[in-house]
Amino acid sequence: MGSFSLNYLLRRLLVFFLTVWVAATLIFIIPRLAPGDPIQAMIARMTQFEGYVENADLIIEAWRKRFGLDDPLHVQYFRFLGNTLRLDLGYSMANFPATVYELVGRALPWTIGLVGIATVIFFTVGNLCGALLAWYRTPKWLKVLIPMSMTFTSVPPALFSLLLVYIFGFLIKVNEKPLFPQVGAYARGTTPEFTLEFFGSVLYHGFLPAMSIVLVTFGFWALGMRGMMVTIEGEDYMILAQAKGLKPFYVLYRYMIRNAILPQMTALAVSIGTLINGSVLVEIMFVYNGMGSLIYSGIANQDFGLIQGTSFILIVTSALAVLIIDLTYPLIDPRISLEGR
Amino acid sequence: MAERTKDAPVAGGTKEAGLLNRFDNPWMNWKFLTGAGIIGFIFFLIFLGNQFWDTELALAGASPLNMPPVGFTNWRNQEGIPEHPLGTENSGRDMLALLIVGTPRTIGVGAIAASVGMGVGILLGFLAGFVGGWVDDVIRLATDVTITIPSLLVLIVIQAVLPRIDLVTMALLISMFAWATPTRYIRAQVLSMRESGYVQMARLSGVPTRDIMYKEIMPNLLPYLAASYIGNMTGAILSAVGLELLGFGPQRIPSLGVTIFWSIEAAALLRNMWWWWGIPTVILAVVFIALLLINLGLDEIANPRLRKAN
Amino acid sequence: MAEQRNPHPKSNSPLDPPVRRGASHKEGGTSTLPFPPRRGKGLGGGDRVVLSVDNLRIHYATPQGDVIAVSDISFDLYEGETLGLVGESGCGKSTTAYGILQLVQPPGYIVHGSIQVDGTEVLNLDEEELRKFRWTGLSLIPQGAMNSLNPTMRVKDQIIDVIESHEGKQTDKEALRERIFELFQNVGLPNRIYNMYPHELSGGMKQRVCIAMGVALHPTVVIADEATSALDVVVQRIVAQTLVKVKDEIGVSLIVIGHDMGLLAQIVDRIAVMYAGKMVEIAPVENVYANPLHPYTQLLIDSIPSIKERKPLKITEGITHDPRNPPSGCIFRLRCPFAWERCAEVEPPPIYVEDKHEVACHLYDEQFEERRTNALASLANP
Repeated sequence: MGSFSLNYLLRRLLVFFLTVWVAATLIFIIPRLAPGDPIQAMIARMTQFEGYVENADLIIEAWRKRFGLDDPLHVQYFRFLGNTLRLDLGYSMANFPATVYELVGRALPWTIGLVGIATVIFFTVGNLCGALLAWYRTPKWLKVLIPMSMTFTSVPPALFSLLLVYIFGFLIKVNEKPLFPQVGAYARGTTPEFTLEFFGSVLYHGFLPAMSIVLVTFGFWALGMRGMMVTIEGEDYMILAQAKGLKPFYVLYRYMIRNAILPQMTALAVSIGTLINGSVLVEIMFVYNGMGSLIYSGIANQDFGLIQGTSFILIVTSALAVLIIDLTYPLIDPRISLEGR
Repeated sequence: MAERTKDAPVAGGTKEAGLLNRFDNPWMNWKFLTGAGIIGFIFFLIFLGNQFWDTELALAGASPLNMPPVGFTNWRNQEGIPEHPLGTENSGRDMLALLIVGTPRTIGVGAIAASVGMGVGILLGFLAGFVGGWVDDVIRLATDVTITIPSLLVLIVIQAVLPRIDLVTMALLISMFAWATPTRYIRAQVLSMRESGYVQMARLSGVPTRDIMYKEIMPNLLPYLAASYIGNMTGAILSAVGLELLGFGPQRIPSLGVTIFWSIEAAALLRNMWWWWGIPTVILAVVFIALLLINLGLDEIANPRLRKAN
Repeated sequence: MAEQRNPHPKSNSPLDPPVRRGASHKEGGTSTLPFPPRRGKGLGGGDRVVLSVDNLRIHYATPQGDVIAVSDISFDLYEGETLGLVGESGCGKSTTAYGILQLVQPPGYIVHGSIQVDGTEVLNLDEEELRKFRWTGLSLIPQGAMNSLNPTMRVKDQIIDVIESHEGKQTDKEALRERIFELFQNVGLPNRIYNMYPHELSGGMKQRVCIAMGVALHPTVVIADEATSALDVVVQRIVAQTLVKVKDEIGVSLIVIGHDMGLLAQIVDRIAVMYAGKMVEIAPVENVYANPLHPYTQLLIDSIPSIKERKPLKITEGITHDPRNPPSGCIFRLRCPFAWERCAEVEPPPIYVEDKHEVACHLYDEQFEERRTNALASLANP
């Protein structure tokens, strides 16, 4: 048992560090696969798009120094790894002299907040709906209503956000004003501060983006949960629970949901990557000031350093989220103990 | 003597409830049939469109600009005309022609990426499940890492440095990430089947490993593989649409995602040109829902326990 | 004179006192019996009926028609008694147990019958009444103890949840702890498992936890469904002894389902033999081994392996007929060496031959005494 638990911990850590390393390496290699000198090419493209690049010389010099393009490839690689792991992600060309680190630092909390809250909502609601779908005491009308609410399951969140923006940001108007704001993470003209008013504005602005993720995602969890509940209903301990004359609601949460939630947690870890894919696009649709919009501005401005840095940090965030889920898993499944005896 | 007629799930259902839906032909599954029917209907419409509609109209400048669908007016108070029943967008592409051309392209990208991913997945999944040892360890690690990385980000980085690419290249790039989920799934299925009684029996009676794979495991795996393939296709189309929404993708003859990207760029929402982004969005949504229904149906076909729960 | 029991007794209200069936037998003569009757000597258990099963019928629905799993069986369980329920696989013994417990899983369903525990008609209880009745009236020691414990709950919590579900929230935690320790002691479990999870226990320990749990509320009747089958021989014996010991200490009535005749012989007072959903004989354990009456029981006893002599197995095949479409008359006639026309025409009713001993076979009807004598003679000189 003990060795198995240590194995579990080490394996999870290995996957985490491997993911970070693979991400850094991919980001190092990909621009070098493109034909020509990456920096010259980029500056050329920027010039072509915008006619004139401010501080072009400074940028070229900063990037040359950073890449050390005259060094042999492996020296460049290890320097890149070192810089990246220290989160020294270089300058954003479009926002020079702002560093990518600064920009990411401002955007990341918004993304984590949006995705985190959406995840808590769809995971809770989804699993609850799934459990109720499988439970024999659930009222009939709920068993009809829940599947109906799952109609939009598997529609891409970005497309669904278009529909939501159109309906709630344009069509439905109260006092000549749209029901929900179309863009932004908080009211225009305000600055982030810790006041109730600002917090309310954040919730108001975050509602549609969060719903775009939740409404198309919770159905998956409901279906998965329902499947698990059905499997668990066939377990021997369910027959004994019935024979014991336990209260039905107690059996539901202590015997069924408690056991069915375990594979759902594992599935959550697996789905983090897809979730971040979706949220990047949703942020772009809502011009939400998170990582997605940052990447989009990088794409629009041909700001390759920004694209690289933002992608890397998001991949690390994803790996970290998976690691956290994996490390909390032993707390809810007694069969995998981290302590090891 | 107590006659047992009341509907008490605790003591076992009544005879009628027990028999309902359970012993029918598993392929007569309404989810599977509905999903397959929708996809079939979409392809039928595309076929008709190719026969009776001029697909050249999908090119820029082939039609008047910004026309609304028939029966609606645009912000310039122009009425929709029957020559362009679904309207046109701001560079003069006919929406109907765009849909006829773009829909199969979007689904096609998904199908190519899913097929490549599935092929690799079957190979690696069987390898990991059957060979075991360090091969299994390496494949598992690679799978876990690939699943953890949000594929869209890497694809963005690649597309940002590559010149414009065609649909097939895009599909192949997507398939770089589309192998991991099937590998994981197939490995788990192979492992559980390997431990099952009938495979153990075959093994004990000296059936060669290759025969066990093809004759014992593959046939039982087929419904799972089908469900996995559909799921993979959904994921691949999702990636493709994601990239297209960011402006990467074919420009001359656009797919559905690219059309939506342009509509956003041109502020179609503000100009209330709902037909421009709305029709492709709804068609994509219907395709995704249909694929999900097929997937759920296949799941129930493969797993009788899920059928029981209905 | 042997009395035939009416297979379809009139409906009893749940409050009616349990009817002692076959009571009139004592007034009748005993001369027609093939052997001198013995009073239930050495039998555990008093004369008070705690569980009375009447005319219970359970079907499993299939697309080709219903499979008759349990076919109109009736029997009584006396206070403090241990009854063994035996028969080959698929004969319906487990289904009977689950029927009594109201745990038949779909597509199975109870067609009709009556199950009375201490005068309470179990089948008339509504859902909440049934829930409260469970474990206080009838408890189960399950077949697969390996998977019968909730993997995400500590052992103590799984015992506490029965107590709190039926006796309300326990405020005195110390007393509750003592009570569980006492249960552990009864079944020979160490106190250290109190805080453990099921996966940390061995198979034998899990089975003992199930026994401790089964008797925690001192139920009227405990049903042990093949409680020892999954264990190895040594542990099997220890667990079986634990079962008997706990039963005696706590004073419950016990139904043990099993197919190991040797093990059962040591722990039960009476044995009920089932064949293809029918109860063919129910008798004190010494009678079954020394003097089995029903031809099927005779086959079964004959097939018990012995170290002293090697003999060919008489039972060569299992149940042969289609369970959806049983043969007319006697269910066993297709395999019975003594069957004659009457067996195909009339279903043999249970015949009361002696105290707590019934057999369902025409041979023991007094009209066919001659046949019986011949049959017994053929058995003596094969």
